[in-house]
Amino acid sequence: MNPDLLALITTLKMAALTTVILLLIGTPLAWFLANMQSRFKVIIEAIVALPLVLPPTVLGFYLLIAFSPQYLPGQLWQQATGQQLAFSFSAIVIGSVLYSMPFVVQPLQKAFEQLGKPLLEAGAMLGASPMDRFFTIVLPITKASFITAASLGFAHTVGEFGVILMIGGNIPGETRVLSIALFDHVEAFDYAKAHILAISLLSGSMVLLASIYLLNRPSKNRLRTK
Amino acid sequence: MALKLNFQVNLNRFDLTINQTVNLQGITGIFGHSGSGKSTLLRAIAGLENAIRGEIALDDICLINSDSNTFIKAEQRHIGLVFQDSRLFPHLNVLENLKFAAKRCQNRQLDFNEIIHLTELDSQLHKHIDELSGGQKQRVALARALLAEPKLLLLDEPLSALDRHAKTRLLKLMVNIQNQLALPMLYVSHSLDELQQVCDNLLVLSQGKVLAFGGIHHIIHQLNHTQSGEFIHQQTSLSLPIKSLNNGHGLAVLSLNEDTDIYLPAVNENSGQIVGQLLRCFILAQDISISLTEPLNSSIVNHLLANITAIDTKENKVLITATCGRSQSTQEFFVNISAFSQQKLALQLGQNIYLQFKAGAVRTDLY
Repeated sequence: MNPDLLALITTLKMAALTTVILLLIGTPLAWFLANMQSRFKVIIEAIVALPLVLPPTVLGFYLLIAFSPQYLPGQLWQQATGQQLAFSFSAIVIGSVLYSMPFVVQPLQKAFEQLGKPLLEAGAMLGASPMDRFFTIVLPITKASFITAASLGFAHTVGEFGVILMIGGNIPGETRVLSIALFDHVEAFDYAKAHILAISLLSGSMVLLASIYLLNRPSKNRLRTK
Repeated sequence: MALKLNFQVNLNRFDLTINQTVNLQGITGIFGHSGSGKSTLLRAIAGLENAIRGEIALDDICLINSDSNTFIKAEQRHIGLVFQDSRLFPHLNVLENLKFAAKRCQNRQLDFNEIIHLTELDSQLHKHIDELSGGQKQRVALARALLAEPKLLLLDEPLSALDRHAKTRLLKLMVNIQNQLALPMLYVSHSLDELQQVCDNLLVLSQGKVLAFGGIHHIIHQLNHTQSGEFIHQQTSLSLPIKSLNNGHGLAVLSLNEDTDIYLPAVNENSGQIVGQLLRCFILAQDISISLTEPLNSSIVNHLLANITAIDTKENKVLITATCGRSQSTQEFFVNISAFSQQKLALQLGQNIYLQFKAGAVRTDLY
């Protein structure tokens, strides 16, 4: 298979899996933060937001150490799966989840805070359980924020470079993603192939962002009624 | 149905302490000024307040008991709540909002279409929430709460954001629904006029404590003496049988007793009111004046012979309590006059006087 096509498949696989995991972890975390009133809230918020300001290589460096068989996380992983965590597909997914976390948690937290309690109280008074309220009130009303969160998480994961290089290396079909393939082409002075990948990433990102704005635009019917 | 309230809520800079059993018959009003604890009381009954010490029970069902760590969640209490701000779900249209409630009702007995008809929403069902007026939104909120088929309906100032026309329409609707469904209601408002028109009983809160509880007219008359009328507009609150909706001169006639009638502006014959039915009305104490002789040559149509039973003076204001009728069917009236007038007329306890007030002074907000 064409190595660049393989890199594209690896990238999409990694980004899709990361996005799903991020939505599953990020939603309850964002809900918890939106409703938390403790003074420790700022500490958790700071930890979640850390990847926004931290150089990816710093996060990658510490993850590389943690994933190595000499340290507990790496050891536990090896005992559970029989395989080394560092330089594996699983490693780059875990790294991506941590690195893209703020892009998913922050829009969701903001949406949950804006939604507030009034409509949920109304739902409770009509006999809706907490899960029922989440799926029939929270989710439909904050749908736009979920789309934004998922898209940003996906796009940011696709564009990752530093963290993946540190903890995944450059193993074709396993950890070699598009951004690393692009770097390889530039290092080898193969600018033609580099251009193809760069343009693909650029246009892909543009299409994705335009789609988010299109989806999040109020519908024509709603506009007419206001 | 009885609601036992024996609890305390401690919120930031506000305490609500209540020990009162409320017999839920018809519509029970909860009156008090801002910060008196009305909404907190309703939220506690609804299950939306957690920081409660004590007990709340509806008949033999304990809703909360801090001693035994009992707390029935709001969604399991079978209590409905209509909020001040309607809180309709913005992602659903009117029909979908109503279905949200009906779907979650475990033991459906009410007819869906009947409730829609009762709340006059037939033509609004496919409208988006943004397209509704304030009054329409509150009617949807009321219908939605009814479709959940609660055992008790709480109404938290549902009319406060509405104009006079919408208020009147919704008040009538509430009375109509109460009559048809026999659903006990607790109705919170800071407007005594609204409560006077629809409530059977009244609970008065002041600074987080119960000030009074009892029949609506009795409690309103009791409030006339509270803080010299600063609490409310001093008034005479009445429920009198209709003798005539229109006497041919643009006046309706109510029967105060066998000998005495009270005139007020004619009641619309399409209002649903019928002769013989009780009409709720009130007369502000400032709208009644006193004459020592019968004012036969006056344009004022209402003049009643009464006997002074109390004179309360504060600064230059005097509140006269006067009783009309014979021993078996007496009615208290409240009159505000100045201390100057009292001295001029030399009014004394036990003195017979004539109360006079225009037909227009007899107010009824609903009809």
